[in-house]
Amino acid sequence: MSMEEAFALAEAEAKLQQALAEGKQRFENAVVPNRYNEDWRFGRPNKYAAALVELLQSDTASSGKAEVKNAGDAAMVVTRDDDDLRQTEMLMPSIGSDALLGMHLKRFGSGYALFIEKSISEPIHIYYSTGGLYTPSTFIMVAPGVKAEVIEHHAADTPEATMFVTRNIHVAEGSELSVSLHSSGFSRYMCITDIQNMGGKVHHLTTHDNTLWTREETVAEIYAGTESTCNNLYSANRPAGESILDQHTRQIHHVGGAASDLLYKNVVDDNATAIFAGNIYVATGAHHTDAYQSNRNMLLSEKATIHSLPGLEILADKVRCSHGSASAPMDDEQLFYMCSRGIPRREAQLLVAEGFLAEVINKFRALSQSS
Amino acid sequence: MSLIIKDLYARVKDGAQILNGVSLEIPKGEVHAIMGPNGSGKSTLSKVLCGHPDYEVISGTAELDGQDIFAMTVDERSRAGLFLAFQYPVEVPGVSNANFLRAALQARLPKGEELDAVSFYKTMRSTMTKLGMDTKFTARSVNEGFSGGEKKRNDILQMMMLEPTYAILDETDSGLDVDALRIVSDGVNAMRAPYRSFMIITHYKRLLDYIKPDVVHVLYKGRIERTGGYELVESIEQNGFDFLKTEE
Repeated sequence: MSMEEAFALAEAEAKLQQALAEGKQRFENAVVPNRYNEDWRFGRPNKYAAALVELLQSDTASSGKAEVKNAGDAAMVVTRDDDDLRQTEMLMPSIGSDALLGMHLKRFGSGYALFIEKSISEPIHIYYSTGGLYTPSTFIMVAPGVKAEVIEHHAADTPEATMFVTRNIHVAEGSELSVSLHSSGFSRYMCITDIQNMGGKVHHLTTHDNTLWTREETVAEIYAGTESTCNNLYSANRPAGESILDQHTRQIHHVGGAASDLLYKNVVDDNATAIFAGNIYVATGAHHTDAYQSNRNMLLSEKATIHSLPGLEILADKVRCSHGSASAPMDDEQLFYMCSRGIPRREAQLLVAEGFLAEVINKFRALSQSS
Repeated sequence: MSLIIKDLYARVKDGAQILNGVSLEIPKGEVHAIMGPNGSGKSTLSKVLCGHPDYEVISGTAELDGQDIFAMTVDERSRAGLFLAFQYPVEVPGVSNANFLRAALQARLPKGEELDAVSFYKTMRSTMTKLGMDTKFTARSVNEGFSGGEKKRNDILQMMMLEPTYAILDETDSGLDVDALRIVSDGVNAMRAPYRSFMIITHYKRLLDYIKPDVVHVLYKGRIERTGGYELVESIEQNGFDFLKTEE
């Protein structure tokens, strides 16, 4: 090793140690989510986050099943003593949930890491399930020029189950990753995701079904790239009953010239609540960024509630960024048209709702198939 | 067995009264044309019969083979045999034509019985071919991005697939070019049968040249003001509706 290389290595190590020290500090100073925290606005943290905090601080052991399919030799089980992966999690951003992330770190040591070094034609499946409390971590690293698809299934074995997942996704230059996450059936479900795009393409889809309280935080960062670099974030959900779906996103453009797209759609039924708070952040000098964000909601019930908070924070000139939000009840004319063909009202509602959400799924599928 | 409307008064919800005592009987096997100036209540009549939520019946009755139409929900009316081809067919994004029609046909089957998918697609494709429709439209969202003429054809496709006993065509000819009008009319004529009737709402003789009506009614200010044969169509084509005003 030359002197210069040794210096560079020492400098990198010093930076990492500093970051880790700052990371620890961050968790020590973090405030447990409360309703005065802007990132937890409308999400009823005093009820739901507090219950999760209590559970994470209790003696209840994290336990669940983890399985992977079609991964070949790309998959590795995450273990408690894997410092590299632990440090990756330690450095990941949250959206107002550092305290919870700190608690997740204390329980670190389960889940799967995928190191995908060659293109695959069949999707890799990751399955996590639990009947109690489970806190797995997923790491997906895609090597330069590689194309892959990963599907994550997070399922509850009992209606009382709680899952808190962290996901770190790292996509290298020239690679393309389609990754979808489907969660279902929990009492409480939380997922913090960080996507680090170094010049590739990421197509990311989430769907959450039949869970009483869901909190999703997705940060998608672009660190390097060209015109073809993009992060595409999609979500389609149908919260019903008394459920709360609380989704927060950040599309961060550290460098210019790349694109990001976001389409989050919800059909909200019964007494359910859907919250969307998104932000596009374009750093100073990240010119020629092309970013879009759209949140669309359909209400099936007069008691359903929607809070939509799209946002832009642009520190560069010469960018094309826009955002939009629209929430409305189901169109009566569409319902009448369908019923006038003999389709019962409830079935017609479900068909229209499926059609509304289909745009999201179709967009994601089209991108996945083209990759 | 008939569609019998007696002394029907109806209005836009919380708004103007449009129908002022419509009485009409359409026996099975007959084609009745409804003509009338703009704003006379033709489309309102069709929507009230099908149960559009923007309208309410003030008084009067309507029976479909002895069944009280107004006691039925919108979907029940359809399954009882009533069909409306819309003046402005509605777009339903994300719901494919095939899924839409499958759901409509499935709803007509007894509980527990499944629609035969193979024969459904076969029938749908052959019916589309008869109507000059590209079979790619099976996968397209209902009416989304369709031209005006394509939407009208799509409604006629639905009618041919659902095989109603009482079909109301509300200005189906508007937006259709000459060739499309002939194709659609051929489709309707092919469906004429002793067990089926049609109520055809139109402004123009052209459609009625293709689909010859048995009876012609003129609706004016929410009432049937004149009933006659095809000669009434010719008279309106030549002289317009001025005779209604002179009769006032």
